[in-house]
Amino acid sequence: MIPDAEKLFSASTEWKSIRVNTLKIGRDELLERLSEKFEVREMPWYENGFFIKGDITKSLEYYLGYYHVQEAGSMLPPLVMLPDKNDCIIDICAAPGSKTTQMAMMMENEGIIFANDVNSKRLRALAHNIQKCGVVNCIILNHDGRFLWKKGIKGDKILLDAPCTASGKIIKNKNMTWSYGRVIRMSKLQKRLIESASKCLIDGGTLVYSTCSLEPEENEEVIDYAIKNLNMEVEKIELVGIKTRRGIKRWGDKEYEGAEKAIRIWPQDNLTEGFFICKLRKY
Amino acid sequence: MQIKKILNEKEIRDIEKLIEKNYGCKINLGKYKVFKTGEEKIWIVEKGVDMELCKKLRCYAMGMYFGKLKRNNKIKLSMEGAMMIGKIAKKNVAVIDEGEGMKFIEGENVIASKLIGCEQNNFVIIKMNEDILGVGILRENFIENLVPKARRINF
Repeated sequence: MIPDAEKLFSASTEWKSIRVNTLKIGRDELLERLSEKFEVREMPWYENGFFIKGDITKSLEYYLGYYHVQEAGSMLPPLVMLPDKNDCIIDICAAPGSKTTQMAMMMENEGIIFANDVNSKRLRALAHNIQKCGVVNCIILNHDGRFLWKKGIKGDKILLDAPCTASGKIIKNKNMTWSYGRVIRMSKLQKRLIESASKCLIDGGTLVYSTCSLEPEENEEVIDYAIKNLNMEVEKIELVGIKTRRGIKRWGDKEYEGAEKAIRIWPQDNLTEGFFICKLRKY
Repeated sequence: MQIKKILNEKEIRDIEKLIEKNYGCKINLGKYKVFKTGEEKIWIVEKGVDMELCKKLRCYAMGMYFGKLKRNNKIKLSMEGAMMIGKIAKKNVAVIDEGEGMKFIEGENVIASKLIGCEQNNFVIIKMNEDILGVGILRENFIENLVPKARRINF
């Protein structure tokens, strides 16, 4: 299943990634300041993303919230969604808030984001990051995402960055444990979450589904489920400057609908964690 | 989060006046919804937020913590509140040099190199070059550090 597998296990991890917080500082000004202290590379696919070598959590700029430490792959789902100033967005599994604060930044602190997470311990980190980034358009909720639709909120766009086995993080955690039973449990949970997400979405609204897992059961299978059961269709994703590969169409005896329009980001291709992203529209 | 009161236009203006009195600058909080939680904490949130809907939800937090009203018409700004005001503040601003700035970030008390219209025992905005580092209290010979523990960095 893994293309160029040997490259995956030797991929470099010495570069860390950060995102400029344009709610507090201009991109060029931060680049100039950081270049005096660190070795900095611009991210080819996102103007507000940089790769940096060094201890990025011990700088004046970090203290001031001028940038947010965020995995490079995790910057992609908001870029696929393209949040707008007038949107009402629901981020169903928001903690610790990297994508939430990125969306708030892209919306220039206007519109509304409902940032939800079931885990009350993780909400603390979410609230901390929202405050530190100077975000004013977020409402932090503590509901089980599977039942969020019962609360009567509707979004123009929804981000479902679903809980997953996180096998795409293997580049940074080569000692991670894996079990097929966990994959299956996650897949069931992800289907419940996408069902709830579809009910929270207005007709014609956009849902971006993502995981940092490599398993088809957690990705293409969930999309296949949404297409067949939830009045959703898959839309093509356009990203420039990053190597992406198509979703997996066949896995064992299963064949998945919509996989050809979903994208996979493999760790060995771009110095990121592995990611799966799919954009769906409700009809 | 328990919202104690959603402030009306007059109450928002009162806070703007309080900021003008303490920091010598005018800001427009009217572009936000402003509300109070326990201990006189002031929060700001995007104006389009439906507060009635939010009351029906299990809401952990909303918007950005701006500051806390204190006795004697004073306000203890949050770091982000200080950043909003710091660049235009004309009084109660303490300028510190880079050496003291690093100490301040670590949570230590510091000594200012310049005081701009500062009142003894009032909250002062800490400025280093063009950056606003947060707030402190001006004591007789030093500035008491008020950086929250979660925000401090040990270099």
